[in-house]
Amino acid sequence: MKYSCPVCGKMAKTGSAVDCARHMFGTGDKAHRAWFEAQGLSYIDLLLSQTMEPGNKAYVTVAELLEKNLKE
Amino acid sequence: MERHLLRITVNGQEHELYINPKTLLVEVIRDHLGLTGTKRGCETVSCGACTMIVEGMSVKGCSVLAMQVDGLKVTTVEGLEDHGKLHPIQKAFIDHGSYQCGFCTSGMLMSSKALLDENPKATIKEIREGLDGNLCRCTGYNSIVRAVDAVCKGQYREDEA
Amino acid sequence: MKYNIINTHTHNIDGVAKVTGRATYTVDVTLPGMLYGRILRSPHPHAKIINVDASKALALSGVKGVVTGKDTLGVKQGIWRRYSELCDEQILPLEKVRYIGEPVAAVAAISEEIAEAALDLIEVEYEVLPAVYDAMEAIKKEAPLVHEGVERNINVTRHIEWGDLEEAFEQSEYIREDWFKCSGQAHMCMETRSAVASYTPEGKLTVWTSTQSPYYMQALLAGVLGMKESDVRVIAHYVGGGFGGKFELDGAQFCASVLSMKLFRPVKIVFTREEDFIASKRRTPMYYYVRTGVKKDGTFMAREARVFTEGGAYTSMGATALYLTGFFHSFPYKWQAYRYDGYRVYTNTLPSTSMRGFGAPQAQFCSETQIDIIAKELGIDRFEIRRMNGHTTNYEVPGQATIASCGLEQCINKIEEWVKSRGKLPANRGIGISCYGFMSGGIFNWFDTPYSFSSAVVTINCDGKVDLHVGCQEIGQGSNTTMAMICAEELGVRVEDIRVHSGDTAECPPDLGAWGSRQTLMAGNATKMAAADAKRQLLEFATAKMGPNIVYDLDIKDRWIHLVARPERGIDYFELVKEALRGKEGQRIMGRGYYTPHRKGMISPAYSYGVQALEIDVDPETGKISLLNCVTAHDCGQPVNPLGVHGQLEGAISMAAGYGFLEDLPMEDGKILNPNLVDYKLIRAPEMPETEVIEIETYEPEGPFGAKEAGEGLTNPTAAALSTALYEALGITVKQLPITPEKVLNALREKAKEA
Repeated sequence: MKYSCPVCGKMAKTGSAVDCARHMFGTGDKAHRAWFEAQGLSYIDLLLSQTMEPGNKAYVTVAELLEKNLKE
Repeated sequence: MERHLLRITVNGQEHELYINPKTLLVEVIRDHLGLTGTKRGCETVSCGACTMIVEGMSVKGCSVLAMQVDGLKVTTVEGLEDHGKLHPIQKAFIDHGSYQCGFCTSGMLMSSKALLDENPKATIKEIREGLDGNLCRCTGYNSIVRAVDAVCKGQYREDEA
Repeated sequence: MKYNIINTHTHNIDGVAKVTGRATYTVDVTLPGMLYGRILRSPHPHAKIINVDASKALALSGVKGVVTGKDTLGVKQGIWRRYSELCDEQILPLEKVRYIGEPVAAVAAISEEIAEAALDLIEVEYEVLPAVYDAMEAIKKEAPLVHEGVERNINVTRHIEWGDLEEAFEQSEYIREDWFKCSGQAHMCMETRSAVASYTPEGKLTVWTSTQSPYYMQALLAGVLGMKESDVRVIAHYVGGGFGGKFELDGAQFCASVLSMKLFRPVKIVFTREEDFIASKRRTPMYYYVRTGVKKDGTFMAREARVFTEGGAYTSMGATALYLTGFFHSFPYKWQAYRYDGYRVYTNTLPSTSMRGFGAPQAQFCSETQIDIIAKELGIDRFEIRRMNGHTTNYEVPGQATIASCGLEQCINKIEEWVKSRGKLPANRGIGISCYGFMSGGIFNWFDTPYSFSSAVVTINCDGKVDLHVGCQEIGQGSNTTMAMICAEELGVRVEDIRVHSGDTAECPPDLGAWGSRQTLMAGNATKMAAADAKRQLLEFATAKMGPNIVYDLDIKDRWIHLVARPERGIDYFELVKEALRGKEGQRIMGRGYYTPHRKGMISPAYSYGVQALEIDVDPETGKISLLNCVTAHDCGQPVNPLGVHGQLEGAISMAAGYGFLEDLPMEDGKILNPNLVDYKLIRAPEMPETEVIEIETYEPEGPFGAKEAGEGLTNPTAAALSTALYEALGITVKQLPITPEKVLNALREKAKEA
């Protein structure tokens, strides 16, 4: 399953959900942040968790959401 | 508050003062006698900026009451030079760049002098330990150690006369 | 390049004053009628000030006055004057307090004891508010706001980016992520914050104070007191250390001034050591996330860093630290793509600000620690991986800076040589290395000064002696001596012919002051220009007298004005000066110089480089680290004052190593737990390692005689070198500063578990 960014259409690295999440998170511009807000996520809270905790919980959260969205 | 009579010899000069018995030695030196070369850097007897020499021993001026040195001889940094002629340790400090902001310098000089008077052939290790009570934030200590070592090695012998 | 004076062993010109006790610091200043001030401080981390009742204090015999925010203009000030939203600090706040230790009131009395007793008699009614202490808590939606209207307590954000980060990560063959926590640190100047302020009936204010920038103090005081700058005079002849903590307006200066303006008497305020710990600002603590991608051969491809800094209660210099940490986190290596996002977060704790290194020691600690791990995992030599990716002369950091001089490779080679010469080390010992690069003064005019960044005036008197007036500030780093050396070299006289005037805004031209490693380059350029101007005027007279073909045929060296081609033909400098003055209607020869960097990129006109190796011994039973040896290869362009450079290096090592494994400001509910020199651990003489400095000379076209900074950059590598030394010695990494014995033991236990 390959994922393209729902905001800008780019396919990152292997095209996996986690890589897509990493791309969206890393880009961090207004458009990409708006997507996070629209999903009921807080960009800053994700940023916090990414900076504070080892384990990439933030990317996994977003990846799971991407997978869920695709299924729907 | 009853004042007590303090008799103290500082840098060879006898003084008589009436002081509050709670006065610290460093306060008498700095505030009463106006010898501001000695500094203060803390309230916990930790930094050594107030080091002076009492009867040959290096003493932190904030750790003793002035009355405890009643009748005794005190030397401060102002007492090192002799009519404009610098003491060997002062010359060594200048040659080795052993001061930067200068705030710890008086204390370092007095600790160094006390150390040299007691142990004129001190090793580097002994010099470092002798300066353990003096904090310096600027120099990293090594230039001070080198200066004291130079005096130990006799590089300022002609100045010691 | 061999010079008469530059790079020769020269005594510091303040020597006699400092070794004989003649040097008068602010704390030694006594004036007729002087009062002693003390500051009442908030016991709460966050509270509204409902009422301050000073009536009982005022009734105490000997108390002359009490002031609060109500006695001030209520100006919100800050050092980033160009951005009003970052001017967020009323030193005596009117409405609420935001950290434990913040001033609430100040009292002046005829003695310190009475002032101290009066503090207990001032009754303050507070409404305690919920507080937040950790940056990562403060940024949450439900956290209390430290400043109204500042969403999520996000004070400043900074973003640096170049290249295509995703592309670069895609091309990477090895990627690794790490999380780090960098601590704060106290400046711990030997002289605490202090000021004597004297306001007189003519409406003029004179302030003696311990500061890194008399000009900044003058301008900031004028701003908060509603005065013209020129009616404020700031004097700082001798300053007992600064290290980045003394160029903002502080409580001693402000409260003493406000009291003096009310009472028309001099007021002296000297912080106790405890006050200095809790109420002067500190190094910025930071949370760092770093993801790095490299090729299998070690080529650096991509790096992204996300940083949250704990700002404390006010902006201070935190905005600059936020930018510089992100900028220097890429140093000194070439990255195909780089991205940094920094967020500074307000908390109800002691404000964090600049401290020697300015965010770069933190950046280097994280970067170098990770690079060593990457090198080991890829099986690449740790020197080689640094050499192959290091900056080189003329490299352009995309969109940020052009490196005009860079001796990094030579530095790496020298340190590699030394490390190899140490041979096989015994068990539990390791040599860590760290590279760094640093700025020589900043370009960005956030202070919004209309003046040139540095100025100088050289005046030749009838006896040939020279008065050099500079605005750069001597704080122990030796700038007076450096300027005297540059002036003497340029003019062709000796250092003892120069009298340096500094530390007095009424006598000296403006200069931004001693911070950001700017003075050798910027004030040095201004001094050189002024000396060249004066020299030129003298040579014009000499030309008329000696009749050479062209003025450029003449030069002055060591008090001898001569024909360059026939140096034996000349005139004694002192003789010529006497004649020249008569020829100029008795006017003294004056040269003016100034310098402001422009069109030099985003950050700095020049960059210093270096590599440091630190040899340590670790006791695996106790986790205790001992420093054994420290060797630094260092490129400061053309060293000006070698005794000064060596002193700066050794001082930097003691401060930076302290940051690496000893110094910390732990807090509980916003209260600093160790505000004294018993509990705050510093390196002392027996713990200092032997040091060696290897000078790599390059030539920096922008600097005076090719010089660039030496002193702040040297603080960058040591914590990193300590960390990589630990990795070499025991194969463990501690990613939280300071690297205490406890953390070492924990890491050893973790390693044993994994085995």
